[in-house]
Formats: sequence, structure tokens, C-alpha cells
Amino acid sequence: MTAQLSRRDMFRYSAVGLGGIALAGLATGCAPVAAGGGSATKAPPAGPTNFDFVSWGMSEEATKPALQASVNAFAKKDAIEIATSSYPFNDYLNQLTLQVRGGQFTGAAQLDVAWLSSLAALGKLDDLGAKAEGRGYTDAALQAGQIDGKQFGLPWTIAAIGLVSNTELFDKAGVSQAPATIEEFEDALTAIKGLGGGIVPYAASTKTAQLKDILVWMQTFGSPIIDGEKCTIGDAESIAAVTWYKKLFDAGLIAPDVDRAAARALFSQGKTAIYDDAPVARASVLKASPDASLGGKMAPIARPVKKAGDTPQELLWGHLLVVVDGKGADTAGDFAQWMTSDPAQTISYFTALGLPPTTEEALASSAVSGNVFVDAFTANITKDAKASPLWKYVQYGQMETAIAEQVQAVLIGSASPKDAMKAAGQKVQSLIG
Amino acid sequence: MTTTTIGRRQKKPHSSNVRAARLSEVRFIVLLLLPGTALLVGVVLYPLLRSLASAFFAESLLYPGATWVGLQNVIDVLQDGFAELLSQTLIFTIGATIVPFIVGLALALVLNEQFRGQRFLRGAFLIPWLIPGVVVSFLWMWIFDANYGVLNGVLMQLHLIDTPIAWLFNTDTARGALIIAKSWNSFPWVMVMLLAALQTVPGELHEAAAMDGAGPIRRFFAVTWPHIAGVAGLVILLEFIWNFQHFDTIFVLTGGGPAGTTQTFATEVYDTAFKGYDLGHAGALGLLWMGLLLILVVVYVRFSERGEK
Repeated sequence: MTAQLSRRDMFRYSAVGLGGIALAGLATGCAPVAAGGGSATKAPPAGPTNFDFVSWGMSEEATKPALQASVNAFAKKDAIEIATSSYPFNDYLNQLTLQVRGGQFTGAAQLDVAWLSSLAALGKLDDLGAKAEGRGYTDAALQAGQIDGKQFGLPWTIAAIGLVSNTELFDKAGVSQAPATIEEFEDALTAIKGLGGGIVPYAASTKTAQLKDILVWMQTFGSPIIDGEKCTIGDAESIAAVTWYKKLFDAGLIAPDVDRAAARALFSQGKTAIYDDAPVARASVLKASPDASLGGKMAPIARPVKKAGDTPQELLWGHLLVVVDGKGADTAGDFAQWMTSDPAQTISYFTALGLPPTTEEALASSAVSGNVFVDAFTANITKDAKASPLWKYVQYGQMETAIAEQVQAVLIGSASPKDAMKAAGQKVQSLIG
Repeated sequence: MTTTTIGRRQKKPHSSNVRAARLSEVRFIVLLLLPGTALLVGVVLYPLLRSLASAFFAESLLYPGATWVGLQNVIDVLQDGFAELLSQTLIFTIGATIVPFIVGLALALVLNEQFRGQRFLRGAFLIPWLIPGVVVSFLWMWIFDANYGVLNGVLMQLHLIDTPIAWLFNTDTARGALIIAKSWNSFPWVMVMLLAALQTVPGELHEAAAMDGAGPIRRFFAVTWPHIAGVAGLVILLEFIWNFQHFDTIFVLTGGGPAGTTQTFATEVYDTAFKGYDLGHAGALGLLWMGLLLILVVVYVRFSERGEK
């Protein structure tokens, strides 16, 4: 076969093709993306259907077995198949956002309480109000899953992120009781550092991924973070908090390169005396520790206050189950309801992982009330826990990153606390609008 | 008229029947090209144009819809630390190009000599190149970690340091760590390319130069380098282009930190789009980044053409 194509012909064909592609690309760029279908009304299928479930729990060795067993139990009960997928915690929100926005994911999803605003903004979450009715959730837990009165998430576990200490290291350092004020806290850290052996007294977050922990210290120093619609970062209190953090860093009382995973690793090896975590930590720390008796040495302590008599500042923490509208959504809603409120399921899940349940019945059970660690965590930390003032903003992730980068700049000495906090405050304010 | 002839050259057709047959053959060729073109369009061109189009819209990853803003996103990006980002990208790119080139050239010169174990070493030195970039990055993260890293452990065992060094938490050492990690991954490729070029250098020239009294350094610059200069230039240019768009080592090892000081175009575009949910500014940054890359590609094409001539 022979054909002659002039170069001009080839250019012409190419130009037409590329022009078409360019127009299609631009048109798509201009075209409004379809609004979320979360509230679309359609008849639910007659019986249970297969659905997808995405979580970060399945990517963590400590939680995977119990979570997989729960998923299997529900699938068996309704004779359906649940396709599971997972992403690591630090990448989870990005991946889930992309999947939901692109319409590639529908079904049930695990969600951190801090992420609800961001995901709900996509307009694809089902209102689970009907599924929450009469299930006995505590009011505080239900509120953690609400936005503007709509129940976008069913509360799975609600607690706080607080300070967890190693009592053995405290005793060795001669610190007989938990420090109640910042001053006592510093003294305790200095005493622990005196033990030597490369111990990091306080494995505070210094990597950007979890440097958001600084916010609760800013609140401890008296900065509200948000006042009305105004960001207060850059005020004297937030500057004092970051100056103090830098002081701890320079004195070697906190260490570089620490995020939650590194802090857990240090704690499990007996290389740190205090770090910030939620009750879920206990399972993973104990699993990774060579010290079989570490569980008995783990004590949750209230965050020190600036002056005696202040209320400790603690950050609310929890997981929700949300349902992304689409194929299998109705059964996914049933699954979310069962996982979070079925009495037998919630108690067995708590027994396996130590994650505090969210229903009155489960909380009153002997399994929960008899758990010394969770009981102490609730009494010392969770009782004072509050949601972060940034969570209500869709751009909260961007805000926390902006603050974290400025705090990191202070720690490495490339910015003063005053300049850095001013820059962070301005960035957050620009995101608030 | 310049023509592209496919198959055996024929006389120019004149009759309407021949013209019809020719057109149908053209259609057939177009049909053959379609699958490949469709793949190119779907996987490369459409996503590229779609993301470049974002540069001209205020568009969020979270909210539906987009609003035309013209060049505002580009202006914002240029005014908001673009020069700093370019400088950080260039520091990484130049470092991660020069270091593997020097290491690769040195090894190629050694492995071009005949000695016992030479074949084994040629294979062994390829291993870092065979390991996926992400795995390499995690490996180096473990080495450089401040609290349980191997490097600090070794240095402390040797009593060279008393307290651990936070390699990834200091701007200069973090940049150095990134360059070392990336160079470790890419020097074998440089080595292989230069070794191939070295084997084209006629041995007689070396012998003649040696007889004339030229030492090893003189022989390298007078005989070896002129023969491998073309390949070396190509290798440097390609490494530069690849490093200019490199992502995984930086993302895994430092995430652009500390305090954004190792952020490059690649990681900044990712952060803007997927952490800031700001597709408009990410698209604008991508547009500028692609413009700079196109300059490098033009240099590469010119360089290749000159080599062919």
C-alpha cells in the first residue's frame, strides 16, 4: 500500500486535532463542575447491597485486624461484599478528596473529626440524621459530626489528644507528680533530660505534619486563635507560646524530626517520657514496644496550665463514619450506624483497640468503665477537650500548614517568633477572607 | 512541496479514481494513528491542557465551578515567592546534576580499565539505579533521621559527634541530604552512559599521547574528554531536565521543609493543589514551570541536532 502525505497535510490534521483537544480542555476548565449529589432523592434498593469502605485504619498494623474483623462481620450478617481500600493517615484526606470529587468513590469512609468541613464542602456527603435517631449517641459526640444542623458523620470514637507520660521515667528523674503548670513542666523536662542516655524528655511535634499541636499550647498561653472571624495568631500570647517552644527546642527538651509516628516509636522504646496522642496510641505503642510492662507505666496527664487554677487546654479528637452518596450508599449508611452504635460491636471494638465508644450504653458498660487507661484519659484530658477553632473553615488544612511552617522557621532560627507569628496570622486571615 | 512518502515512491496520481484511492489510504493511515493518538490525548494532552487552563480560573479542589480571572493567578504566583522557589529548585537541580556526574565519571574511568572484579563492579554499581525512587528516599530518611538514624549512630559510635545532628531539620544539611539521596539513585545511569562513550575512545591515541610524555591528567583532557564531551553534555542536560521536575525524593525526605526551604516547583505545585486545594494557583505555577522546562527542552533538541550533524 502506498500513500503520499505531504508535511502540510500532517500539520493540518495535527492542528485540527490539537485545536479540538485544546478547546475541549479549555471548555472543561471553564465548565462548572456538577454540584454534589448528596441530597439527591432516589429510591433506596430493596435490600442490602455491596459497597466500598475506605479508611486509614486498614493501613495501620495495630488497627487493621480488628477493623477487618468488623467489616467481615457486617458483610457476613447481610451477605454482601464490602470492598475495602486504605491510605496512610497523612495522605488520607487528599486522596479521599480527589476520589470523591472525581466521582470515583461512593460508600462509607472513615474521617477525622477535623476534616468534616473540608469533605462536606464537596457536597457529596449524605445527611445521616435519620440513621442517628434513637441510637443513644451522646450529644457531644453527635455534635462532632454535624455541620449547620446536618448530621454528615456518625461518631465512631470521641476523645482528645493529650499528654501521655511514662511514669517509670518520671520516677527515675525524681518527678513525683504530674506537672500542673508550665514552670513545673519545664522543671520536670529538665530533670528527665538529666537521666541521659539520649532520652528526649518531651517528644513534641516538630515536623509540619503534626506541628499543629502548637495551637493547643498557644491556647494554653492565652491566645484564642480565632476571635469572631479574626485570627489572633501574632498576638502576645501566641508569640510567647512559640518563644517557649523554641526555648524547649534549644535546650534539647524537645527534638527535631518528630511527628506522631516518631513520637510513638520513641515512647515505645522508652526514649521519651511524654508525648501528645489520643487513646488509640496505646494499642500501637504497646505492640511496638520491647517492654512488656510498658502498659502499666503509661499515664495520661492533664496539659499544664500557664498559672495555677487555669483550665487545661485540650484538643478534641475523634473519628466519624461518613457516607458518600452513590452506589451502595444506603447499605453504607447502615454499616456506619452498626459500626458506631451496635452495642456488641462497639464494645468488642473498644476491647480490641481501646477506642472510646460514643453511645451512652457502651460508655456505661463494664468494659469501658473498667478500663483504667481510658478512664484516666477521660478524667484528666477528654473532660476539657474542645474542637479546634480552625476546624470550621474549609481551608483549615492550609491554615495549619501555614502556621506549622512559620513555627518551624522559628525552630530552625530563620525567623523570630514575632515575625513568624505575624506572617502566620496574616496567612490564616487571608484564608478566612 | 515537501512530501512524506510512506512505502515505495510512486508517480504523482492524476485521475479522480487514483485520487479517491489515495484519500482512502490517507484515511487508513489516520485510522492506524488513532489508537496511539487517543492514548496521547487522553493520558498526556488532555490532563496537561486541563491543568494549564486552571491557571486562568479561580478554581478550588473542594468547590464546584470556576471563575475566569485572566492572568491574576500568574501575577499572584510571580509576586508570592517565585524567585525564592526558582532559586531553591535550581540549587537542588544543579547539585543533583553535578554530584552524580562527578561520581559517575570517576567510576566510569575506573571501570574502563581492565582489572580483576571489573565486571562484577559494573553490575553492582547499577543496583542503586534499579531501586525505585520512593524506596531510595525512605532508605535515606532512615539514614538521616535525627532520633534513630544510622548516620548519627555511626558518627556517635566513632565519637565524631556527641549529640545527634538533625540533618533534615537544618536548611543546609537538608539540601545536602536531598542532593546525596538523589545522586545515589542516579549516578549509575551517568556512569553507564559515560562508560559507553569511553569505550569508543581509540586506545592508540592514549598510547601515542603516553609516548609523547603526557601524564594521566593531560591524556584525560587532551584525548579522553574531546571524545566523550558530546555524551557528557547530553547526560548533564538530561539530568538537569529530570532533576528540575523531580518530586519523590523531596516529597518523602523533607516534604519541602524545614520551613519550606527545600520546596521546589514539583512539591509546591502538589502542596498548592492538594493541601491548599487551590487549582488556579497550582495551574499558574505549573504554567510557569512548564515554560522554563520548554526552554531546557529546546536546548536539548538543538544539542541533539548538533550531535546528529
